[in-house]
Amino acid sequence: MTPIRRVVGSLAWLALGATAGLTLGPAAAQNPPIRIGVPTAIQLQVGRDTTDSMQMAVDEINAKGGVLGRKLELVVADETENPETGINAIKKLTADEKVDVLVGGYTSGVTLAQLPHISRAKTIYLGVGAASPSITQRVKQDYDNYKYIFRVNPINAAHQARALADFISGFVMAEMGLKKIAIIGENAKWVQDLVPILKKGAVDAGADVRMSEFFDTQTSDFSPLLSKVKESEAQFLVVILSHGSSDVFVKQWYDARFPVPIGGIDVKSMDADFFKRVGGKSISEITINGSIRAPISPKTIPYWDAFVKKTGRGGPVYTGPGAYDAVYVYAEAVRRAKSTDPDAVIKELEKTDYVGALGRIQFDDTHDVKAGPGLVSFGFVQWQDKGERAIVWPKEMRSGKAILPPWLKK
Amino acid sequence: MAEILIYGAVTSAIYAMLAVGFTLIFGVARILNLAHGSFYALGAYTAYVLTTVLHLPLLPSAVLAVLFVAGFGVGLERALVRPLRGSQIAVLMITLATSLVVEQVLFLTFGSEYRNVPSLASGKLTLLGVDISAQRLVTLGVSVTALSLLWLFIQRTRLGSAILAVSQDPEAAQYMGIPSDRVFATVMGLSAGLAALAAVLAAPFLTVQPGMGLLPMVKAFAIVIVGGLGSIPGSILGALLLGYSETIVAYLISTSWTELVSLVAVLLTLILRPAGLFGKRAAF
Repeated sequence: MTPIRRVVGSLAWLALGATAGLTLGPAAAQNPPIRIGVPTAIQLQVGRDTTDSMQMAVDEINAKGGVLGRKLELVVADETENPETGINAIKKLTADEKVDVLVGGYTSGVTLAQLPHISRAKTIYLGVGAASPSITQRVKQDYDNYKYIFRVNPINAAHQARALADFISGFVMAEMGLKKIAIIGENAKWVQDLVPILKKGAVDAGADVRMSEFFDTQTSDFSPLLSKVKESEAQFLVVILSHGSSDVFVKQWYDARFPVPIGGIDVKSMDADFFKRVGGKSISEITINGSIRAPISPKTIPYWDAFVKKTGRGGPVYTGPGAYDAVYVYAEAVRRAKSTDPDAVIKELEKTDYVGALGRIQFDDTHDVKAGPGLVSFGFVQWQDKGERAIVWPKEMRSGKAILPPWLKK
Repeated sequence: MAEILIYGAVTSAIYAMLAVGFTLIFGVARILNLAHGSFYALGAYTAYVLTTVLHLPLLPSAVLAVLFVAGFGVGLERALVRPLRGSQIAVLMITLATSLVVEQVLFLTFGSEYRNVPSLASGKLTLLGVDISAQRLVTLGVSVTALSLLWLFIQRTRLGSAILAVSQDPEAAQYMGIPSDRVFATVMGLSAGLAALAAVLAAPFLTVQPGMGLLPMVKAFAIVIVGGLGSIPGSILGALLLGYSETIVAYLISTSWTELVSLVAVLLTLILRPAGLFGKRAAF
């Protein structure tokens, strides 16, 4: 060691000692913060709205004194849409950052790849983005290893399929009088889980499913697919996509004045400014949407407005309200457990009955959010003139009359 | 059948504009320009800014976007490629770096959301019993015109002959007094302009987001390998082959298989005829 280094070294020790001495008094009362890891696709809107919504919840809770006298703190890691990067994000958050809990997720394939690593790190994980039922199935198959996994949002793909089947029978068939259905969905895990259930549900309801096809998430030209739909003589096109190009799909549908109305689950079409971004070409498209400014619970509209005020954006995408609620769900469980010990918190999380921006949140025995009326549910929302949105299904949530594409109006 | 014919033609036209520019740079300057996709992305984003943010009329915006990107191409050649042209690897790296920087700048400026470029022509037409949006027909028409003009330019003008001369033998051309640097800059500008033109035409019905340049570049690369690196007729034929095979696969098999077509085509070419259809020698 050179003399200079020695001096610097001893100074450093001195400084360390001094700070330790100084902070000992107040530090006894000031506990270290509870660290919340956020693995999400931060470059995408789903990820950005996850972190912004969580920050809102964290700020609100901290303003009221935190949890058990401890402040909350977010640590974000980019998991992208790639499983390998997703695993690294989990490793970074659990091993390096030593977070107390993880809240995040978007791509089901990524989340599934992360699960073993989450379980090995014995860290609680609240999913707010991925919909594949396989994720929470693990909890049932191997409780001891996977009890750490919970899903706050979205309602899983199997429930979504049932909601979609209900939409087809109640709305498309009964109200619009259209019986011939075509289903197209992107080739992704959650859609592979969803389509068989949807198809069965639709057929059981008496629909004539003329075709059902997957397309690559990279698809940039939908004309061949649309032309097949036309040939199948379907009268209504159910579309299911999230990672794929929603914008290209509606643009090409609109530009061809495609003679079949569309509806289903189009995740990017859930964005408040989607209509504007595609130059109004999503007119009359209907999509399931869990993130709408509607009085779903007393907290929904205040959350929505606060989000718009904080971010200056049109409104949160579907991951937003779930991420916001997930922070509260975890905070409440810690408060009840009087500790952040995972086992104690899991026991309390399982008893969750929390009314949040999403609705009333309870978990089933697979740690999956329960779906249904009075719990968490979603409306089918349609883009109408000037980018207005109306809930057209289910009946009890209806906020406007459904419209047809302008070129199909009689 | 008519659908395959018409839609395949539109896809091929877009591919041809991208591939011809890509192969032109290779043929003349002997460089693999991995920033070719960023020309495409920049073209679309410039058109977006001019029309949607600055509210300029469509046609002048399209022209300005093409000119701007052509200028960007010339600047890129001047500032980054020219000093490194001695080393193929260095050029490869610098153009790759440029494409990453462009993508990140677009991402930081505009975010990851899709953007919209308005169509030059709205509405749909019916051709041979096939419904097709007017914008796609415009794309087809403009691209055929642009490529024909490029052909005439190369075959009939003085500068065109200079380009041909440099592509055949850069050293001999230099001895003859042809300013090869200026030829390289021109070619880069032409190539960038063509990619931007493809973007301005296709953006209204394809996607506009920061990563949009990658796939077209991969396609252009594949086409150029199939057609023979450096050969313009080869890349046009390659574009037709790939455009039509993708369309046929999409119609007759499934849309989820289309992205495989270009990979298979590249593989087959490299195994069966490494020089490509019209290439004189293997490029690798």
